[in-house]
Amino acid sequence: MKKKLPMTKKLPMNRRTALTALFAGASAPLLAACSSGITSLDGDGSGGDTGSSSGGLTIGTANFTENQILGYLYAGVLKAAGIKTTVKPNLGSREIIVPALKGGDIDLLPEYQGSLLLYLDKNAKDTEAGAMQNALAAVLPASLEVLPYAIAEDRDSFAVTRETAEKYGLKTLADLTKANGKLVFGAAAEMQKRVVGVVGLKDVYGVEFKEFKALDSSGPLVKGALKKGDVDVANVFTTDVDVAANKWVVLEDPKSLVPAQHIVPLIAARKADGKVRKALARLGNVLTTSELTELNRLVDQDKKDPDRVADAWLKKNGLVSA
Amino acid sequence: MLELLKNLASWLTSGPQWSGNAGIAHRLVEHLEYSLLATLVAAAIALPIGMLIGHTGRGAFVAVNLASFGRALPTVGLVTLVFLAGGLSKWPVYISLVALAVPVIITNTYAGMAAVDPDIKDAAKGVGLRGHQVLWQVELPLALPLIMTGIRLATVQVIATATIAAYVSFGGLGRYVYDGLAQRDLVQVLGGAALVAVLAVAADLALGGVQRLLLRGRPASAR
Repeated sequence: MKKKLPMTKKLPMNRRTALTALFAGASAPLLAACSSGITSLDGDGSGGDTGSSSGGLTIGTANFTENQILGYLYAGVLKAAGIKTTVKPNLGSREIIVPALKGGDIDLLPEYQGSLLLYLDKNAKDTEAGAMQNALAAVLPASLEVLPYAIAEDRDSFAVTRETAEKYGLKTLADLTKANGKLVFGAAAEMQKRVVGVVGLKDVYGVEFKEFKALDSSGPLVKGALKKGDVDVANVFTTDVDVAANKWVVLEDPKSLVPAQHIVPLIAARKADGKVRKALARLGNVLTTSELTELNRLVDQDKKDPDRVADAWLKKNGLVSA
Repeated sequence: MLELLKNLASWLTSGPQWSGNAGIAHRLVEHLEYSLLATLVAAAIALPIGMLIGHTGRGAFVAVNLASFGRALPTVGLVTLVFLAGGLSKWPVYISLVALAVPVIITNTYAGMAAVDPDIKDAAKGVGLRGHQVLWQVELPLALPLIMTGIRLATVQVIATATIAAYVSFGGLGRYVYDGLAQRDLVQVLGGAALVAVLAVAADLALGGVQRLLLRGRPASAR
């Protein structure tokens, strides 16, 4: 069990949750192998070409589907702008990739506002997208920069089945008070002590659950339990394909309890020239949350390759020439 | 590092940490409950099977290979599978822990019985013992050291793996490991892991004591 220590994760990063954590011991040598690979392929990773993308960009991604798709989308639009790119998918969790970015082994990373901010500053309080962007700029070292955030967002949300929603008349998180003391809440263990979880739901909305069940975040356990009725309220991600497939009702969050998690490019400042900024901004303004969900579905359910899925979507939306 | 050990020591020794439903005492009892029940059920399944194939010599190939296959089953996978099929209950925990313990006990019981010298069995039959008498009075006593080793191994494995209960929302010492990881509380993780390790070693020593008691008076070579 001690092997799991290095793999503590946050929010959307823990998509593969405890399963990944348990196999962390097995994958550690693999990750080590990956990072040495990056260094050798990156060539001039030491920062020789300041503020220019002419030397090409290495894009890293975390170890879950959506982040890989985003990495390939970034690569696609940059390539179309005439920039040489290399994608290094599946590098691991934020605890591994962000240091790799700081060290110059990779140059660009698809990130999520809220999770990244909490990773950089444990006590961050901002939950609104614009304020978070400023907070991020303030806590990042000078060598790193976040570019404007995308429309698409992969946020923690709280869902109930349609039957439960109808039975108690649930539309927003505030409505959960109508069923105070009656509902069982299933989520990852951290939600029991977090503001985005039991604590915040009580303080901000006055919600009290009958019981908390520590399962996983939007993983097979919590979704299986919601499907079977073993839990009534479940923590799911907004880009999870199973939400729509099961017609679950995602409860609205009028008081912005859950921090915004818009997708945001985290880039080495020395590579962020005008061409890169323009290409990534254009992608961010076109890709929506539901489209990203659909791309996730194509990879997770239809078992298509993430690079092909990304390429096809870019062509369809005119972001790269067909 | 020193700071961490200091924090760990104060975590383990603070009074409030031991009391209440989330306290160490209660978690310890839960952990023992999962482990003991699973090991007992596993023994009840595995001992008769091991004895039967050891005694008759039939089905050994199938049983030993099935047991090896069982050993290769990933426990987390099994828990998830049973959870998805059966829903939120303790069944996934118990089924996977029993599945973990059964192969070890079967193979050790069988190996112990198979190692009994055929000449001794022939001699037992020669002096007029019936089949079941040979089993209970000759084969089992001679196989006992290996059988006990199997049960000891299974118990230690089950105690170490019962942390899995926390993976599907239940208690036990695994709660500290899972919650600590989720909350980035390294001290809690280490505390939980240390308690599991101590419990496993203690159980092994206790069963070792039982084993010595059972085999009292035998020459050292037959323990």
